[in-house]
Amino acid sequence: MPKMANSFPEEVLEHVFSFIQTDQDRNSISTVCKSWYEIERWCRRRIFIGNCYAVSPRMVIRRFPDIRSIELKGKPHFADFNLVPEGWGGYVYPWIAAMASAYPWLEEIKLKRMVVTDETLELIAKSFKNFKLLVLSSCEGFSTDGLAAIAANCRNLRELDLHESDVEDLSGHWLSHFPDTYTSLVSLNIACLGSELSFSALERLVGRCPNLRSLRLNRSVPLDRLANLLRQAPRLTELGTGAYSAELRPDIFTILSGAFSRCKELKSLSGFWDVVPPYLTAIYSICPGLTSLNLSYSNIQSPDLVKLVSECPNLQRLWVLDYIEDVGLNALAESCKDLRELRVFPSDPFVVEPNVSLTEQGLISVSEGCPKLHSVLYFCRQMSNDALITIARNQPNFTCFRLCIIEPKIPDYLTLQPLDVGFGAIVENCKNLRRLSISGLLTDRVFDYIGTYGKNLEMLSVAFAGDSDLGLHHILSGCDNLRKLEIRDCPFGDKALLANAAKLETMRSLWMSSCSVSYGACKLLGQKLPRLNVEVIDERGHPESRPENSPVEKLYIYRSVAGPRFDMPGFVWTMGKDSTLRIT
Amino acid sequence: MGRKAAAYSSSSSIDSSNHPDHHLPSPTASSSSSSLSRKINGNYCNSLSITRTDLSTDLRLGLSISPSHHSDLSSTSTPREQALINWPPIKSILRSTLAGRGADNRRHPSLFVKVYLEGVPIGRKLNLFDHDGYSALISSLCLMFKTTILCPENNHFHLDKYHVLTYEDQEGDWMLVGDVPWEIFLTTVKRMKITRADRC
Repeated sequence: MPKMANSFPEEVLEHVFSFIQTDQDRNSISTVCKSWYEIERWCRRRIFIGNCYAVSPRMVIRRFPDIRSIELKGKPHFADFNLVPEGWGGYVYPWIAAMASAYPWLEEIKLKRMVVTDETLELIAKSFKNFKLLVLSSCEGFSTDGLAAIAANCRNLRELDLHESDVEDLSGHWLSHFPDTYTSLVSLNIACLGSELSFSALERLVGRCPNLRSLRLNRSVPLDRLANLLRQAPRLTELGTGAYSAELRPDIFTILSGAFSRCKELKSLSGFWDVVPPYLTAIYSICPGLTSLNLSYSNIQSPDLVKLVSECPNLQRLWVLDYIEDVGLNALAESCKDLRELRVFPSDPFVVEPNVSLTEQGLISVSEGCPKLHSVLYFCRQMSNDALITIARNQPNFTCFRLCIIEPKIPDYLTLQPLDVGFGAIVENCKNLRRLSISGLLTDRVFDYIGTYGKNLEMLSVAFAGDSDLGLHHILSGCDNLRKLEIRDCPFGDKALLANAAKLETMRSLWMSSCSVSYGACKLLGQKLPRLNVEVIDERGHPESRPENSPVEKLYIYRSVAGPRFDMPGFVWTMGKDSTLRIT
Repeated sequence: MGRKAAAYSSSSSIDSSNHPDHHLPSPTASSSSSSLSRKINGNYCNSLSITRTDLSTDLRLGLSISPSHHSDLSSTSTPREQALINWPPIKSILRSTLAGRGADNRRHPSLFVKVYLEGVPIGRKLNLFDHDGYSALISSLCLMFKTTILCPENNHFHLDKYHVLTYEDQEGDWMLVGDVPWEIFLTTVKRMKITRADRC
């Protein structure tokens, strides 16, 4: 191995590198010189791959021979909102198959938006001897049979997290596959499962795992079982309840509130399906310690929410439905001075008429009252430029600002003007903004603001906005740090895309659906930029069957060092050299 | 590997302007099950004669690398309607939680539920509001999954050869589709599964 003249011994550098954890820093180290590149790749233990098609498993394994922890992402983010057709791809099996032989000591796998089959889970269960952590976030394709294989074989498993995955529920008995000798569980999230669990298996599991800190149950776990579980796990820091309902009986209440009060380390609560409000006071004793509350599946209404948030002065994160209303957000602003993240989801998004009194006023209150707030996702039905300007002035610390006005293309409700100036104020005032979603009536002007001020923006989501190519041009030519751009239903077309083609190579991905990009432009992009995979997604049939200048349904562009992928379904075409091959 | 289906899939996609009616079982089909389907006159829908249809889909996942051809299952809705269906941007798990709440589902423009075919890991989504009753639902599923599904009201003979449609209700119980009136079914169904009839 070539070495620099005055370099430290390898062992010393390796030790120094071991203190450097973030991916970016590790990447920087590896570009210093050949010798550092070599040393770094041998001692890299964790890897994050933001797009499973950006690199092949073989290339990763060749460079990093001793990985212990991998995080992989599959489908585009818009898959969350049903915009990516089923069968699109994102299969993890090839990765697991390659790693099974290359990384026998792999300990952690975190997957997001990937297709995971039972076969994949079985392979994981039998391949990695010291496997400790499996996070399947918004994944699909597997059943409780696959989970049973993990439970039965991974003796050292510490964490199993099925965050928002779509699991085929064959039976609740998979939990009983954890052997009686298994005691290492630290964290279990099964909130997304639909079927009834085997309660006795669950209770035995909780009882024999002394290190259990996080337990997120599913809706099928009834309230009268909760106290018993809590008694066995008094050191929980995170709890997701099941259905929070039972007939009103003083004895149930006393047992429940006693069990909660003994869980002094609880910091995070979620679940609370089907709440019977009188039982909510059972958690009041631990509310002062709470930092995180996710009530986005909960039917708790405004008066009870007001009382609840007033009991939680140390809350840092709140996810809630719009049942909280402006009055509840006012109470939040008054009592929760440490709040950092707020998400308000709509309880009835499919009707035009508001069912609750939640307006821009609630967000203004929180931006005034909570000085540490930096991340917001807010669904509402009306907004004004004045409100956005006030929010931006109150809260220049936003790093994430996602506003969804439910009715598309709706103007400032006071002036009937576009909301350009309001969002302009957000990007101008919030210098550290990294993530932005915009909505309402918006012209190309808002993209001028975004391109001019959004210098730290990394992810931008746009829907039903803009007038012309100029809008997209402002984004691509202005946002220097943009990594992910997703656009739907905007009149952006060929000119802006082709003029800024080189920019695409600096980004992780661009998604455009129902826009005005022609098939011809897609072909040109694919030919001119070989390091990009330009994928046309069109469920109407082959784009060649329509004129070159007709717009494609969906377009997904991402950089890749692996070339075109091999698992495209029949409604996806890669542009470039390979596409001519496929057509013939 | 992985490319063998490309040419095949493009032809199936080009078919997609065809109306589903074109794919009704043809009287010349010779397999035993298709003659059976004629006998009982529409209570079965037979898919063996349907090889190229816009509603059909190949669900073979194989070892995750085999491509599947695909086409839009909800051919009745235009892209515009689809766009508004997928708006506002809410994750499906929250969306279904909200949709399952209360009995006022009919006000919503769509009610997507997932349908699984036994033994196939990937489910397909289907909008129940696109259907006016059980027979329309079963017809769609027969085409979508290229299989034969028994209608609920029909006598159950030759059970071993056919599939039945089951659904999971809000309580988590699996029931045979057709056990309650359609409107009540809409308020309680969480997901559906197509199961071999002899396993029920």
